[in-house]
Amino acid sequence: MKQEQFVASYAKEWDTLQSWLAQLDRAPQAAMRAERMLDFPHAYRRVCHHLSLAQARGYSREVTDRLQQIVQMGHRQLYRPPAPRWHKVAVFLLADFPRLVRQQWRCMLVAALLLYLPAIVTYIVVLWKPTLAHSLFTARQLADFDKMYDPANNHIGRSSGTDLQMFGFYIMNNVSIAFRTFASGLAFGVGAIYVLAANGVILGGVAGHLEAIGYGGPFWRFVVGHSGFELTAIVIAGGAGLQFGLSLLAPGRLRREIALRDAAWTGARLAMGAFAMLIAAAFIEAYWSSIAALPDVVKFSSGAGIWVLVLWWLIRGGAGSRYAA
Amino acid sequence: MLDTVREIETPEGVALRLRAAGAFGRAQAWLLDFVVRMAVFFTALGIFGALGRGGMGLASMLLFALMWAYNVVCEVWFHGQTLGKRALGLRVVSADGTPITLLPSITRNLLRVVDGLPGIYGVGLICSMIDPSGRRVGDIVAGTLVVHANDLPAGSKVPIVPAQPLPLPLDQDEQAAVIEFAERSPLLTVQRQEELADILYPLTGSEGTAAVKQLTAYANGLLGRP
Repeated sequence: MKQEQFVASYAKEWDTLQSWLAQLDRAPQAAMRAERMLDFPHAYRRVCHHLSLAQARGYSREVTDRLQQIVQMGHRQLYRPPAPRWHKVAVFLLADFPRLVRQQWRCMLVAALLLYLPAIVTYIVVLWKPTLAHSLFTARQLADFDKMYDPANNHIGRSSGTDLQMFGFYIMNNVSIAFRTFASGLAFGVGAIYVLAANGVILGGVAGHLEAIGYGGPFWRFVVGHSGFELTAIVIAGGAGLQFGLSLLAPGRLRREIALRDAAWTGARLAMGAFAMLIAAAFIEAYWSSIAALPDVVKFSSGAGIWVLVLWWLIRGGAGSRYAA
Repeated sequence: MLDTVREIETPEGVALRLRAAGAFGRAQAWLLDFVVRMAVFFTALGIFGALGRGGMGLASMLLFALMWAYNVVCEVWFHGQTLGKRALGLRVVSADGTPITLLPSITRNLLRVVDGLPGIYGVGLICSMIDPSGRRVGDIVAGTLVVHANDLPAGSKVPIVPAQPLPLPLDQDEQAAVIEFAERSPLLTVQRQEELADILYPLTGSEGTAAVKQLTAYANGLLGRP
């Protein structure tokens, strides 16, 4: 068949498909309602066939480029991923995320140890020799801590600022730290290890210092509420970073590129879960933990309740057959 | 061939041509995005400032959204294009040419932490200069690719002269070579044009300037011009 004949027989078909695809970009709703939509997969495959024919028969670039363009447009629509659904967010938070955490339990355990061991050691050391707090923090930082957890302060945990201001600040600060912890795990996990251990030392140092000067009461009353979500989220982000770095060190039976990609997607999902947990933590920290007037029993029992809830959620979430894959 | 086109075979057995974007265009897009985000943030800061201390909390949340969520939202819901990429005609796609999905988009944007490491995108710049497809670390890890969104119809830069039909049939690559010669010859010196055109003496039957003109006329014929 001559090129002119070929174009003359099929040009109308190509134009129809191309104009429908263009309409789909501009006005998706109207295009999806059009009757032509039903023919799309068939029409697209015909154009693919025409392109192959045109290439095999050595038709000129005029024809092949035109067909190539239609194929590109069609491919983008036919292999379009399904739109994200809100329902999936709930399933992810209630079932998929806890399952993912349990699946990576080795990394999570290591991350927890990397956070809590330095914290406990620093806490004991600073309690034993309170002057050591000065080698961890500057005098100005210590003065800030003293002001934040002064038993006379009626907004524990902050030197100034309203609830909303602190809520925004906690989100910006804590979630950014969690995201960086995960991403910096790419350097063979070194970034994640550093963030976890450094946070552990700071945590233990502050706790030890405040306990030593007799401000321990307000400090524990402040942290008990949101620590369930916040510390666990940092551990999970750290664990996500560790498994990310580990996939580069020990890719197992996969090629490094593939192993790294799988680990990155797992890590990104863990980071999204940690993000949700940190929003909850920021909310509690800004609006609940800072209230100084509540009696100890309310503070500590609610804090314990949140810890139990978080651990129960992570250990049991998505375990039933209802969510079986 | 020494260019950035990646050919990907579709399930229908035809090749998709993805033209990967280089570091320079991507840096320009990022800079544009940066300016837009800064403008939004400082405008909002003016408004939130009137709300007192609570407004600072809202400003922090906005900064967080601009830093982490802006790219993901643009890529997933607006055809893989942030405002900067749209202005520069770039698009983020999956490595197989299909539109980008949520998880790869989150991954590639979280890894900006690594790409941006020493100062302003040091790792990302070096990585995208080494990688044949101009991918930064985040792209390699997430399995994504930044491509030129608007495919220039090939041959659009060929000078327009009256077309002539080819005296003998040429295959695809040979046709492409003739069109690309006609497209690029205005960028070469006259001597070089003639030197290259003389190679095709068996086709054109002429030499020197006449051969160059002849090839441009053939290219017009191949592009279906009158």
